[in-house]
Amino acid sequence: MKIKLFCLTLLVLTLGATQTYAAKIRVVTTLTDLADFTRNVGGDFVEVRSLATGVEDTHGVPMKPSFVPLLNRADLLVQTGFGLEHAFLPALLEASRNPRIQPGQQGYVDCSKGVTPLDVPKSTDHSEGDVHPYGNPHYLLDPVLAKIAVQNICDALVAVAPEHAADFTKNRDAYLATLDAKITGWQSELAPFKGTKFISYHEEWPYFAHRFGLEAFGTVELKPGIDPTPRHIENLIASMKTEHVALVVREPQFPEKVPALIAKETGATLVKLPIMPGGVPDTDTYIAEMDYIVNTIATALKKP
Amino acid sequence: MKLKNLLGVSSALCLCVNIAQAQETNEVEQLKQQLQQMQANFEKIETEQQRQIGVLQKQVEAMAQKKVVVTNSVVASELTNVVSPDSFRELSDKVDSVVEAQKKSLPGEFNPAIGLVGETIFSGQSKGSPQNGTGYPGGFDVFQRSVELNASASVDPFAKGWVVINGSADAATGQTSLDVEEAALQTTSLPGNLTLTAGQFFGEFGRLAYIHDHELPFVNRPMVLDQYIGGESKTAGAQASWLVPIEHYVNFTAGFGTQFGDNPDAVGSYRSLGAVNYFGRLSTYFDLSDNWQLEGGVSGLFNPDSGNVDAQLQPNGATALTETKRQLVGGDLKLSYVPLRDNQFNSLTWGNEVLYSDNQYLASNNGGSPFNETVGAWGMYSYLTYKWSRSWSGGFLFEYLQNDENSAGQTYGYSPYLTWAISHWNQLRLQYTHTQPNSATGNQPNDAIYLQWTWVIGAHSHGWQQR
Repeated sequence: MKIKLFCLTLLVLTLGATQTYAAKIRVVTTLTDLADFTRNVGGDFVEVRSLATGVEDTHGVPMKPSFVPLLNRADLLVQTGFGLEHAFLPALLEASRNPRIQPGQQGYVDCSKGVTPLDVPKSTDHSEGDVHPYGNPHYLLDPVLAKIAVQNICDALVAVAPEHAADFTKNRDAYLATLDAKITGWQSELAPFKGTKFISYHEEWPYFAHRFGLEAFGTVELKPGIDPTPRHIENLIASMKTEHVALVVREPQFPEKVPALIAKETGATLVKLPIMPGGVPDTDTYIAEMDYIVNTIATALKKP
Repeated sequence: MKLKNLLGVSSALCLCVNIAQAQETNEVEQLKQQLQQMQANFEKIETEQQRQIGVLQKQVEAMAQKKVVVTNSVVASELTNVVSPDSFRELSDKVDSVVEAQKKSLPGEFNPAIGLVGETIFSGQSKGSPQNGTGYPGGFDVFQRSVELNASASVDPFAKGWVVINGSADAATGQTSLDVEEAALQTTSLPGNLTLTAGQFFGEFGRLAYIHDHELPFVNRPMVLDQYIGGESKTAGAQASWLVPIEHYVNFTAGFGTQFGDNPDAVGSYRSLGAVNYFGRLSTYFDLSDNWQLEGGVSGLFNPDSGNVDAQLQPNGATALTETKRQLVGGDLKLSYVPLRDNQFNSLTWGNEVLYSDNQYLASNNGGSPFNETVGAWGMYSYLTYKWSRSWSGGFLFEYLQNDENSAGQTYGYSPYLTWAISHWNQLRLQYTHTQPNSATGNQPNDAIYLQWTWVIGAHSHGWQQR
């Protein structure tokens, strides 16, 4: 009798646990900022996994076969869009065998919907490097445009689970209100440095610069995805000296040697800035990441 | 006479001046027309821009009224401001960006996506073609190994299709040929984690057999794949692939085809289902840590009645062999260090594959009665590639091969290689290879140097198999 009771209890518990698990919306995001947004909007109704951990290059997340079972079971796939993930996502989607998250389906969430792109190239010829035909895809570094991504995620969650629409909307509003307050603070912090010129390793920062009044002066890379040549570095150093460029930004996934050399030659300050949450320690959320970026820039530019 | 001359000269001068004036008039007229045309174009563009800006402003106003998304005062103030010259310019830039973006499509998004890969091999061999066993002629050679045209697109909501047409030359004879390497259809929405492929394609077997030459980590396909499989695993048939629905990655593939390798089997004769190649592969993967990965698989190929006539002369006597049964099994293991942070600048790959061939042959000595002979032979390759920058990587390939028709014939191969990836689409590779065959192979030790130049134009994406 005791054994029967034990078995029955175990069965009930197992079924209960399975139902709880099954009730959650399984979301896979490509990047950590999108995972953070989804957690904030989806709350307890979502189970979120990000393919990137935060330290990767957003264009070069390794295609691990262990991602395939995750994608196979996903209800939603959330991606940045504008071709940012083109190097790894199409092949993973092909391998996932999950019709729910293929392009055009309800589970395929392109967060760039509604974002006006910057730096749309006149030509997609490879002589211009690994250009993105739809424009620069790094819009998530502009917190105002990030809000559009949050809205797109909210819309997708509502579409897949309309019964929780009120919760998602409430969560979205709360998160956007927090973000708005932070945006005002970030703008105040960087206001004194309006017009400051900087270079970066890759073209990650045009949206950020546009939002906060900074000027992206150039890149260490010769062209997107193409290593710098000695002549390019020489020219870059010369023009930086002429134009008094104050800041050299190195994204953590790129080597430090050349940016450090440029900073040394020009007298500019070298800073390491994450491009998504988790890129450097203590930046596990989008707000923490943006806090880190803004504080680091402000501190570097305040130096006499 | 002088008067006549004077009149003649005067007339000529007048005529020249008139012609010059007429030309000037024509040029002025042309310039005026061009100016008018440019003004018209300018007005047209301006009108179009203002129309687009008007549409955008209406959308912005509609969004501001709804107040759904935009709760931020920064954006709201930007969007609802009266149009000042600065904001007008900014809006105009945005409209231009949107218009420009809409004009674009990725090279891979043309319908179908079309790309071209070219591959040129400069080589030098210390021995002539009959002795070096490489398929390359002796001495210096420039060899256009392939010009590969590929096209792919969705067929409909349920399938995609692709074609790879390869123009290549035979390294030894220089004879060129145009060959359909692949022309296949693959389902994209079958239930139960299934994918079905049919047509001519590279069947899943082992690790590198289904990868095109230009995507190999070294210049030449390992000897064991060339001899046991017949180069790339080209098959004409069908293949089903099943992703096992568990949390761990396990994939199972099984297929059949009238060909597996470079030549069809039993051509020209009555072919029963017992004379078809059957193949399969089981693969899995483990994350050893964030940065270390282990991937492995086992593969098998079986043709109960292959009927391949191969009149190869054996070193131990004039013996003609006809392959009557083809049996091949293999195992592969790849250990990779792929650091999450800077994997584009730093990585290490150790790849290994071992194959065991157990083919059955009908043998006949000169004048003697035919007899059955089974030859068990094995071969392997192991390579280590280290990437130390975005452009540079280098490695070493070791090979061992027993001849699948005469296991006493053995060859060792040693190949250091250096790769310079100038960009994603332009790559140079320098490789030295020393092959050390024993006397039973009939070949001689050979030293070779290769310079491979690979380039890509148009669409070229690495699928799941080529990752």
